[in-house]
Order: sequence, then structure tokens, then C-alpha cells
Amino acid sequence: MSNSFIECRSLSKQYKSKRQTINAVTDINLQVQRNEMIILKGRSGAGKSTLLNLICGLISPTSGTIRIGDKMINELDDKSLSNLLLTQIGIIFQSFNLLPTYNIYENIEVALAPKGLGHKDIQKLVLPYLEQFQLTDKLHLLPEELSVGQQQKVAIIRTLVKQPSIILADEPTGSVDDETAREILEYLRYLREEKKVTIILATHGIIPDTFADRVFTIENGRINN
Amino acid sequence: MRYIFKELRRHLWRTIFSIIGYAIASIFILIILCITGSNKNDSFGILQTTGTHFIAYIPTNASCCSSCSSGEANGSVFAEGVNTIMLDRDLLQTIKYTEGIKDAAPCLLYKMFNESFQSDISISGIDTTSIATRNNVCARTNLIAGRFISSDPDEIVAEQSFAVAHKLKLGDTLNVFGGKMVLTGIINSGIKPVKADFYAPIEIVRSILKDRLQCNSSDFDMNIILVEVSDARMQDAVIRHIKNMMYKFSVSTYNCYEPAYKVMSIIDKSSLGLTILIFIFLVIFSAKTQLSALIERFREIGILKSLGWSNFDLGTHILIVSFIQSIIGVTMGLLLGIGAIQIITNMKIPLFQYIEFRFQYTSIPLLYCLSLVGAFIASIFPIIRIYRSKAGDIIKNYL
Repeated sequence: MSNSFIECRSLSKQYKSKRQTINAVTDINLQVQRNEMIILKGRSGAGKSTLLNLICGLISPTSGTIRIGDKMINELDDKSLSNLLLTQIGIIFQSFNLLPTYNIYENIEVALAPKGLGHKDIQKLVLPYLEQFQLTDKLHLLPEELSVGQQQKVAIIRTLVKQPSIILADEPTGSVDDETAREILEYLRYLREEKKVTIILATHGIIPDTFADRVFTIENGRINN
Repeated sequence: MRYIFKELRRHLWRTIFSIIGYAIASIFILIILCITGSNKNDSFGILQTTGTHFIAYIPTNASCCSSCSSGEANGSVFAEGVNTIMLDRDLLQTIKYTEGIKDAAPCLLYKMFNESFQSDISISGIDTTSIATRNNVCARTNLIAGRFISSDPDEIVAEQSFAVAHKLKLGDTLNVFGGKMVLTGIINSGIKPVKADFYAPIEIVRSILKDRLQCNSSDFDMNIILVEVSDARMQDAVIRHIKNMMYKFSVSTYNCYEPAYKVMSIIDKSSLGLTILIFIFLVIFSAKTQLSALIERFREIGILKSLGWSNFDLGTHILIVSFIQSIIGVTMGLLLGIGAIQIITNMKIPLFQYIEFRFQYTSIPLLYCLSLVGAFIASIFPIIRIYRSKAGDIIKNYL
């Protein structure tokens, strides 16, 4: 076992349909150190989102292994994986994945629900973030009542309230204006530098390479250093 | 629990739809149970006591008392044309308190040759207060003239067929059973296991045998035990038990209980079958509702899984939502159903005049149990689906 924090070995993911087999990710080997920030760069459909989903266990690999710390992700049972997602891994989805019938506060609160925290404890965790991202007055609105940039911020807050040690961000600036994008990237840099969070960013090229420690390019499901 | 109630409120129409579904199913089940229950109670009330009587005695090849058969009286205690031995009170008590027996009574049936009638005449000594006597020998309702059996030792009641054959009238003084007795009543007991020409209280018949006829026997308790069973369905078991108790016992029954038992079994089975059918309908309905609800929010479930909700958290969530819906639905269904039954009963609607709606209180816990089981079964499939799906696949497939 290497001393990297996150390690993917010979990782492949195939999607099979009746007509064809799609190799979304093929034989990927990747090592990420603790407190490192890396960028996965590639066109749409290159396999970036699939790789992020594999790393956090949201989908199972066809072959290969994923390790985070001392835990083999693809061997974890549901309880252990849920616990990992609840306490250590935060995912920022490309499409935000906000719950359309929950208001903003509830969308964030729902990420803490399985922890069994009290109402006041949840408020203590959520409200500072809402203030920081200037969403305090939007608490009771539904996601569809917010701008795209504001929805992205809600998705980020939902990830941050869990205080994860790893953040997997799939196109976090893909749908927002330049100002909001800069704001989000600055905050991710702050998290990495001040909170020692390990961050993997997937982007199709908007984020400058200098922003990360290392940049990997994904093409047709294969990784090129 | 906060999220469960939020979920119920958030998808209000779906919740209302599910609750209405449970309520309608509950009303339906309640009304069916009321009708079948009423019918069952009424028919069982009749069938349960149909043919539930029999007599037990021990046959012998000689008279029990030597002086009766060989002396002047030339009589004997008998049952169904054969001589019997005498039975004691302890045996009667043992039978009386056997499980499944409603009542047991003594009977002393005696016959002897009579000079006046130039034939054998018989007398049955009975305990008129016993229900076993009413069904096996005769009842007050069988009286067609005069008055029923009294405790006066000089009075006697005759069977109608005997009275007609010998042209007997009320008030006639008869020279029978070693003395003179006045005919005070005539009865037609119908078809009964114990038939006699005359009837009198058992104490009087005992006295006749012992004092007037001076029969020589150790005692004169009874020679037949009359038995009434509590339920036709138990009769076979009771008869078997009594025969096991004393293998020499001869048991005589009209077997009317057998068709009654069969009809009751059919009613029982059809009632159970109907309940099972409705229950299956309820389960299918609620399973469909739960599954539709799950498909509707499957993407949400994928998102919750990606946020760290475990399969157990989500499964419990779905199960409790389903339970709450079913409990509210059943409660509403019960209230509406009781109201509907009251309205139908009080308004005397012509359409329902031949159906009796009698509310069955026992159906309340049954309805709750059925709907909870239904809610549980209905939740199983969505829960299995959650356990079998990975969060990423759900989010990808339910965009």
C-alpha cells in the first residue's frame, strides 16, 4: 500500500446495454496525497464524472480498486460507505442535485439529518455558511426560485456543512458567471489551505491549471498525466 | 421523524391519495366484515346448537335389578330397546364438567308390563330444568294439553301417541307403576333420543322403583346420561372423549350436528377467504401506491444516498411513512365506515333492507393489523429496490 491518501488502481467502468458496451473509464491509476488539490480536465463525456462517482463509491467499478485512507471503497458495506459519505466525503455535483421540493435551508439540513443532530446544532452549523454565501434571506425559497449561481452555492454549502476532509467537485464553476466562479474557486483554495481539505476538481477547462497542485487530462476514459 | 412528517406534508397530494386509498379499502373491508359477521353470527346462532345433544348409557343383557325382571313387576331399566345398567352421580358430574359440554342431566327410563293396558308401558324420569333434558327427552314447549310435569307424586304426563292409542283424557286416574296416578298433561315430544309413554320428575320415578315396585338395586340414580354439547363443531371430539372415559358407553346421536358442522365450516372458510381476498387487494393497492411514490422520488433517494443516508435510514423512512399513511387511512376509514353503517341502518334504505349491518368491534384491531401488515408488505419492494441500487446509478438513470 502506497502512502497516498486516495489511490485508484487499474480502475475501469463499463456500461453495458443491449446494443453496445461503453468504456466510461479504462485502467485508471491515480494517487492523490492528503491536502492536495488536483484537477481532472477533459471534454464532456471523457469520464471525469464517472471517475469522481467511482472514487466516492456512488457507483461500483467493473474492475480495479479504490482506496481512501485505509478503506477499500469498493469493498465497504452500505453502512460504512454511508458513514464515509456523511463524515469525510463531500460531493459537489455538476447538476447541483438539489431536492426540488425542499427549501434552501432544508436542502442543506438534509445532509446532516442522518447524524441525528438537534435542530439548534444544525442551525449553528448551517447559518454561518448561508451568511458567508449571502443566502440568509433566501432560506425559505425553493431551488427553482434561485439563480443558477445561487443554486450552486447551496450545493456547495450542503457539502461544506458536513466538514468533509475530501471534496469531489464536478464542474463547480460550469454553470455560474465569472464573478461567482472566482468566488467559489477562492473558497475551495481557502478550504485546501486553511482547513487542509483534499480536493479533486473535474472541469472541461475553465479552471486555470495553476490553481491546482497537479492536473490530469482524461480522454476517452483514460488518464494522461 | 421530522423528515418523515416533512415528507408527508411536502408531497401532500400523494399523501392524501395514499391515505384515501387506505381509507377506502378499510371502509370496504369494514362493511364486508359487518355483513359477513352478522350473517355468521345469525347462522352460527342457529347452526351451533343444531343436533348438539346425545345420550350415553351402558347396555347389558340382563335387567339391573333382579326383582324387577324375575318378580311381579317384571320390568327393567332400558334405552333404545335394550336393558342397561345403572349409572351413578359421580359419573354424571365428571361428564358435566368435561370441556365442550354445555350441560348433562340424569334420566331414568323404566318399562314394565301393565295389566290394564295389556302391554309394556314405559316412564321416563327427568330433570325438567336441564337444557340437556329439553333437547333429548321433552320440554315445556312440547305440552299440548293440561299442565307440564309437576312434583306431585300422584300426577303423571303422557305422550300424545300413547294417550290417543289408549283413549286417555286429562284427569283420568290410571293404575300404573304400582299405584294410582292422575293424568294431568299430554305432550308431543317429537323425535327425541329418549321416548317414553309417561313422563315424571326423576325423583318420583326413583321413588316408584324403590318404594312402590320395590326393585332390588344398589341405587336408582339414572340409567341414561343426557348430554348437550356447546358447539356442533365439538361434538365429535366430545363423543370420542366420553367413549374413552368409559369404553362400555353406548352413545346415541341423530348426527344432525354433522351437516351443521359442515355448513359452519363453509361459512368460516368463505368468510376467511373473503377477508384474505380483500387483504390481498389492500396489499396490492398499497404496494402500487408505495412503488409509484418511490419511482416519483427515486432521484431524491439517490441524492440522499449520496449525502450519506444509508439504506437502513431510507428503508426505515419509507416504512414509517407507509405505516403513518396506513394508520391515518384506517382511522379515517373506520370513522367513515361506522358513519356509513349508522346511516344505512338508520335510514332504512330499501336497497339494503335484506342486509343486516352489525358493527363488529373485533374488526377494529383486525383492520389495524391488516393495514399495518399491508403497509409493511407494500414497503418491502421499494426497500429492496433501494438496497439493490447504487446512488450514482439512481441519479444517472432518473435525471
